[in-house]
Amino acid sequence: MKNPYEVLNIKEGASEEEIKKAYIELCKKYHPDKYSNNPLKDLAEEKMREINEAYDYLMENKNNNGYSNKKEYTNDTQLFREIRMDIQGSRLKEAEEKLNSINSRNAEWYFLTGALYQRKGWYDGAYSNFQTAYSMEPSNMEYRRAFELLNTANNNYRQPYGQRGNNDLCQMCTTLYCMDCLCESMGGDFIRCM
Amino acid sequence: MFGYVTPYKMELKIKDYEKIKGYYCGLCKVLKDNYGNIIRISLNYDVVFMAIFLDAFNKDEPQYTKNNCILHPIKKRIFVINNDALNYAASINIALTYYKILDDIKDENSLRGKFLSPILKRYLKKIPAEYQNVENMIADKLNELYAAESKGNSSNLDELSHPFGELTALLLTSYVGKKDNYEKIYNLGYNLGRWIYIIDAFDDLEKDIKENKFNAINSVMNGEKIEDRINFVLTSYGRECAETLDTLPLYKNQDILYNIFTFGLLEKMDRVFLKKKNDKEEKNEKSI
Repeated sequence: MKNPYEVLNIKEGASEEEIKKAYIELCKKYHPDKYSNNPLKDLAEEKMREINEAYDYLMENKNNNGYSNKKEYTNDTQLFREIRMDIQGSRLKEAEEKLNSINSRNAEWYFLTGALYQRKGWYDGAYSNFQTAYSMEPSNMEYRRAFELLNTANNNYRQPYGQRGNNDLCQMCTTLYCMDCLCESMGGDFIRCM
Repeated sequence: MFGYVTPYKMELKIKDYEKIKGYYCGLCKVLKDNYGNIIRISLNYDVVFMAIFLDAFNKDEPQYTKNNCILHPIKKRIFVINNDALNYAASINIALTYYKILDDIKDENSLRGKFLSPILKRYLKKIPAEYQNVENMIADKLNELYAAESKGNSSNLDELSHPFGELTALLLTSYVGKKDNYEKIYNLGYNLGRWIYIIDAFDDLEKDIKENKFNAINSVMNGEKIEDRINFVLTSYGRECAETLDTLPLYKNQDILYNIFTFGLLEKMDRVFLKKKNDKEEKNEKSI
């Protein structure tokens, strides 16, 4: 990652106000909407990403001593954010390389590996990784949702098979009866004689 | 290894049932007419499915003829004839059978294989020029698969079934060509191939363990309980197939293909799982 102060074009040790001001100005300048029909679109997006990264970093570390060039940059959260964007943008190879480069395997690592596998259609890997992420951090809604969604998708697929041959007359009658009840409770009527 | 991709008969309309039989007999006839009589024993439903699927991208209605068949002497059969998809499927059948037999010879020194392989080799030369690439594709991908199997350091069912998925995808897409739906067809083939590979390995699991043969599932499971995992993976692959099929513009055979992917695959899974359960119960009863 580049030096965030350089990216935002401000002095090192700038105050929070200054950082915010610089950030908003750059956002206006490089906003991708302005480049929607422009060959520079990719460049602008790249720049925007850098700006966001730099701003997020400085905001997160505002109570520390800020960014220093001497300290080697090993912030995994930053890398995780990039991986997320890679997966969303279908740059799966890059995402995989980045994931492999991370040594500390926390819940988020497992979650993102699962997301990568899911994108590839590797469901065995997706399942086990989502499961690990969820069991490491059961309170995290995102992990839990991803894990549950994998299962519900399959339930929906199984439904027609599970219900095959059940379209009998009885079921039709109950459906009609229910519909009538619902209509009546709303003040209308679906079947008059019922 | 084959014969898992079939429709679920009880949900099939009679007209579709007859149509499938027409393709099946049609494929058998192509094999007989273009190659020879012996290869007809290798005919299998997965290849018939391929013909039905690929023919769905062809606008013309299939041509039928009614004829006698030596295997069914009493009743006349309906055949699909003059069909490109069938010709293509036939060459796949030849090449797949040949390479499967080579593998059998290597693995278990099978006598049947030794007898059949020179005959099949002759058949390979009869594959029409436009489909010659099929043979290379199959040889390459199967070699990749065997290499991955013999390495045996994978812990992941996806990784193990990947080469066979790719093979199926290539076989389907190379007929259709690089057109608009290339990626969708590739995806369908990829998932179906992996589905076939996994269910086949799972079905043969006990047998392979007994005979000390390689089995993909045995190599990843390390003695843990694997049924739920297999069930989940197979359902996911099947779901992906069904979802992809939904988005494809098909000119015919829609009902058959819908049946195969929403009922056929799940029924096959049910059957395999039930068989395992019954086997287990039988064993328990014996021990009591």
